[in-house]
Amino acid sequence: MKKLAVLFVIPFFLAGCEEVQKVDTKNDTGKQVMSLDYRDFDQAASDMIQSLLHSGVLSKKDGSRYVLATSKVTNDTMQRIDTDQLTAKIEEDMMNSGQVVMTSAVGGKESNRDDTVYGMRDVRDSSRGEEFNQPTMPQKGQIIAPELSMSGKIFQRNLRYDSDKQQVEYYFQLKLTDVKTGLRFWQKEVPIVKRGSNKTVSW
Amino acid sequence: MKKCFLLLFFAVSIVLLNGCNKEYKDKRVSLDSDVKSSDAANNYLTRPVYAAFSLLAGHGIDLKDVKVFRNNSDFLEIQVTGYNRAVYTKRFDYKVDWLDKNGATVDSKAAVWMPVSAKSRTTFDFKAVAPSKEVTDFRMDTRKTPE
Repeated sequence: MKKLAVLFVIPFFLAGCEEVQKVDTKNDTGKQVMSLDYRDFDQAASDMIQSLLHSGVLSKKDGSRYVLATSKVTNDTMQRIDTDQLTAKIEEDMMNSGQVVMTSAVGGKESNRDDTVYGMRDVRDSSRGEEFNQPTMPQKGQIIAPELSMSGKIFQRNLRYDSDKQQVEYYFQLKLTDVKTGLRFWQKEVPIVKRGSNKTVSW
Repeated sequence: MKKCFLLLFFAVSIVLLNGCNKEYKDKRVSLDSDVKSSDAANNYLTRPVYAAFSLLAGHGIDLKDVKVFRNNSDFLEIQVTGYNRAVYTKRFDYKVDWLDKNGATVDSKAAVWMPVSAKSRTTFDFKAVAPSKEVTDFRMDTRKTPE
């Protein structure tokens, strides 16, 4: 019985000894994978940021900042992707550039909106609103409407390259639209193409 | 033996005669060795010799020019120009770190390794834009693209 118990416990100890590495994301020289990994998002976001900053569309003549909302960025790939992985990087750099301020009042995705913005207004209009110091409460007509909206999609095409290999093409597309006029100021497509064995899966 | 000499003479004659062709050249236009006419320095006989020499000599990327300027939005922008001396396409990554007036690094999500592909014996360039107006200088690093 004792022997059986030892035999049962040993695999757990061995499993605990398996090597786990923390990836050096600054200088990762690891192998490429057929699906999208963080390096692909880094590269796509960097290309988008560089293009936006180079285009000058975010530069206002009076030096003030644009109010930008992130609309829908559709994931049309076979993978389960949170598109924030792309947009959050772009939003961060756009804000740090001093040309843009993001709005959390509206947005195409729940993660781009902050419930507190409207939550506090609901509180204001309820009996609980009296509990708050009134001058600190949000008043009507204070939310700033977005001037620009960022939307886009990520999609995937799988092609048969030859009998052993497949080609997987990913396209990152983003657009920047003026909300008032509906005119599109900027757009960019970043393709990321991978070729590999048919045995590897891209979802 | 005679036949061999004759063939060699014939080959050398073609090379020399080709070399006499007056070729229009423009530094801005690069013709691939498989596209342009053969000449004394580049034909089916000399090409393998040059390729072997290039590999042995370890030909790679030469830095030709770095342009630094402020764009219309007052952001620092750089354009790096290089030349690939190798006989094959060179792929490498570059990363730019942006520095403010105090020499401190300015954080940016765009400061990641970016790929470049330089075709054999051609000039190539790439651009990078600073993430904010505070940037006054930069530092660039390169590495071989991981397989």
